[in-house]
Amino acid sequence: MFDGLKDKLNKFRKNVEETAEEKSEAEVEAGSETESEPKTEPALEPEADEPVDATAEPATETGKTGSGSEPEPEPELEPEPASEPTQTDAESGDSEDSSGPSAFKRAAAFATGKIIIEEEDLEDPLWELEMALIQSDVEMSVAEEMLETIREKMIGETRKQVDTTGELVEEALKDALLDVISVGQFDFDQRIADADKPVTIVFTGVNGVGKTTSIAKLSEYLGNQGYSVVLANGDTYRAGANEQIKSHADNLGRKLISHEQGGDPAAVLYDGVKYAESNDIDIVLGDTAGRLHTSDDLMSQLAKIDRVVDPDMTLFVDEAVAGQDAVQRAKKFNEAAAIDGTVLTKADADSSGGAAISIAYVTGKPILFLGVGQDYNDIERFDPELLVERLLGDE
Amino acid sequence: MVLDDLGSSLRGTLDDLRGKSRIDKADVDEVVKQIQRSLLQADVDVGLVMGLSDSIKDRALNEEPVAGTTARDQVLKIVYEEMVGLVGDSTEIPLESQTIMLAGLQGSGKTTTAAKIAWWFSKKGLRPAVIQTDTFRPGAYDQAKQMCERAEVDFYGDPDGNDPVEIAREGLEATADAEVHIVDTAGRHALESDLIDEIEEIDTVVDPDLSLLVLDAAIGQGAKQQAQEFEESIGVGGVIITKLDGTAKGGGALTAVNETESSIAFLGTGETVQDIERFEPNGFISRLLGMGDLKQLSERVERAMAETQAEDEDWDPEDIMKGSFTLKDMKKQMEAMNRMGPLDQVLDMIPGFGGGIMDQLPDDAMDTTQDRMRQFEVIMDSMTDEEMENPQSVTSAQIERIARGSGTEEETVRELLSQHKMMDQTLNQFKGMGDGDMQRMMKKMQKGGGGGGLGGMGPFG
Repeated sequence: MFDGLKDKLNKFRKNVEETAEEKSEAEVEAGSETESEPKTEPALEPEADEPVDATAEPATETGKTGSGSEPEPEPELEPEPASEPTQTDAESGDSEDSSGPSAFKRAAAFATGKIIIEEEDLEDPLWELEMALIQSDVEMSVAEEMLETIREKMIGETRKQVDTTGELVEEALKDALLDVISVGQFDFDQRIADADKPVTIVFTGVNGVGKTTSIAKLSEYLGNQGYSVVLANGDTYRAGANEQIKSHADNLGRKLISHEQGGDPAAVLYDGVKYAESNDIDIVLGDTAGRLHTSDDLMSQLAKIDRVVDPDMTLFVDEAVAGQDAVQRAKKFNEAAAIDGTVLTKADADSSGGAAISIAYVTGKPILFLGVGQDYNDIERFDPELLVERLLGDE
Repeated sequence: MVLDDLGSSLRGTLDDLRGKSRIDKADVDEVVKQIQRSLLQADVDVGLVMGLSDSIKDRALNEEPVAGTTARDQVLKIVYEEMVGLVGDSTEIPLESQTIMLAGLQGSGKTTTAAKIAWWFSKKGLRPAVIQTDTFRPGAYDQAKQMCERAEVDFYGDPDGNDPVEIAREGLEATADAEVHIVDTAGRHALESDLIDEIEEIDTVVDPDLSLLVLDAAIGQGAKQQAQEFEESIGVGGVIITKLDGTAKGGGALTAVNETESSIAFLGTGETVQDIERFEPNGFISRLLGMGDLKQLSERVERAMAETQAEDEDWDPEDIMKGSFTLKDMKKQMEAMNRMGPLDQVLDMIPGFGGGIMDQLPDDAMDTTQDRMRQFEVIMDSMTDEEMENPQSVTSAQIERIARGSGTEEETVRELLSQHKMMDQTLNQFKGMGDGDMQRMMKKMQKGGGGGGLGGMGPFG
């Protein structure tokens, strides 16, 4: 998983670096003139005093006030604010636009050995990055959010020519990724250790994502840490559900609480908790029937289960192969029964991993585990920092 | 359902073209941008989307519009044709003896789909049998067995077996009487090479006439790779999209169809065995473009009508068109509606009802309507034949008795009667249409606007 995304991020970095290369060569050619010479500037350099630019760029300017008397567009992005204010007045006469680096600023940057990255430089690489993110199943609005972060970090940014553009890109990418994926982090193991026993964990999700298998795996994960675990089958709907979880319980030597098919799911989970309390069991893992988030009846049933059982933790289960829709369902499940984190299954079937990014971002809750195979121990803790490092690391 | 959003945003963009006689590059760019966006949000493969939008752009700018057509219609036609080209025809499934094998990722819905397809064949008058070869997933045998009981079709499986190839072989022998064999397999993904080897072995033993790839509507860009691998190992003859009753658009299936050079065979739209539909490209695209999925709706209507009729030979829906509309007719109509499936799904298929209008209804409108229909049914059960035939002559004393008998309020009984009156009036407008053709009736409703159609369709208070 995530290898595909890694390649694409690397490509974006290269694209921007190349653009910056060309640009800096162009700057050198633009020659020894100290002040900017608009007519001889290569096409890559937009003219600051052309109104066209004013319409092309204002969206990205956070500090702009929209009036021609404020020619300094991005004070907070400018690394050397001290040197700028005095020049601002001198400049205001010749520039009627309030956005984009002014000709003077570019000249100043050039004189001090810097170039400025502008929106035009990023347009193509950003478009390609957006497509790459979508190709990696990152949901469209989440991808746009990431692009926005990158734009903010990079456009108008000056850099010393001795710095590599690569470093700047890497920084921006890292921020953008962490912004969306590293949310609401907590230490799962620690929280389990600290919680009053029994700890009740309920699993929710749409049909066929792997809730029951994840429960079996997690019971093994927790069992290996010395906890006693009981399973409770709240899926009283699906044909074969009792048999499925029963086989897992038998294989793993765990007690299963279940009712007849068609029974009240909340009652089963409640019985599971009661059983744990009277038998000194540490953890109750409660399954629920898969349901589509469009079914109002089933979603309100889920809300009821949540109210009646009042679990210590609710984990949303979804599959890594899910595409754009992952955001919709994560949102709806989180609304019906607030989730604490996500288990992402079938991560071994997917090479992109965008669903992880989308779900974490939209729920504001961390991805806690990855399911990576069909065996009981095929479950891994998920660490966003590690992931981002891996994604951006060199081969 | 599939690509609904494309329908609405595209409709919006196309509406902007209304009144223009010529379209310029900017117009085309805007339409193409909307199409790209929507298709990408529907999980269609990025490469496929770019190819499609390029050809739409190319044709829209270069083709001479047919004389007399507006720019909007011209673009619409091109988009329609390109989409049809992309989606393809539905998989041909002959109604004869055959063996079908299902394959797909874990949790995509193969077992449920197997029972649904069996049910579908049995409705077409063939005798199907499902052979369950998933020995890996706990509970798979029980699930398949129970689903097949619900579908009332033959089933073979071995809860203690551990060799899927052997079970497939034995299953085919044990169900030799059946005309259609549907072989369900364990879930697997393209990167599990041992499991891919296994399904190739099953493929050799079963020698299916058709292998169908079952895909979850929510699958993302990974659909491409999965489809490629399954195509390579067993040869995919068609694709089934499941869980389309959610919000996922099913664009991954388009990718799969493109990769395997096959087509879409069935759509899964719910958890019961009846929730299966044949894929209809024209209806699908028509709905996509905001013209309503007439064909699919009329198919459902016909099926539901046929079932209602089978129970009551005396009742002919076409009588409604000829003679008077009684409460008995209304009851039949309500029963038929119930058989068509959840109301929101049915409404979604009615022209002018999909997308926008559905969104404007309050969330609980469908539930309320369905509750109301159930209440009406109870009331009608408490009425005499005479009252059912001549509802207009029901007196207030009778209303009181009916309310008491059915345990409802008099007010509700009155509502039922006035609802009937309204429907009777609406239906009068359709009289003279002759053969009572459902499809034409729908079209007429569409012209009359959504509101008119609503009144005509029944007690959607």
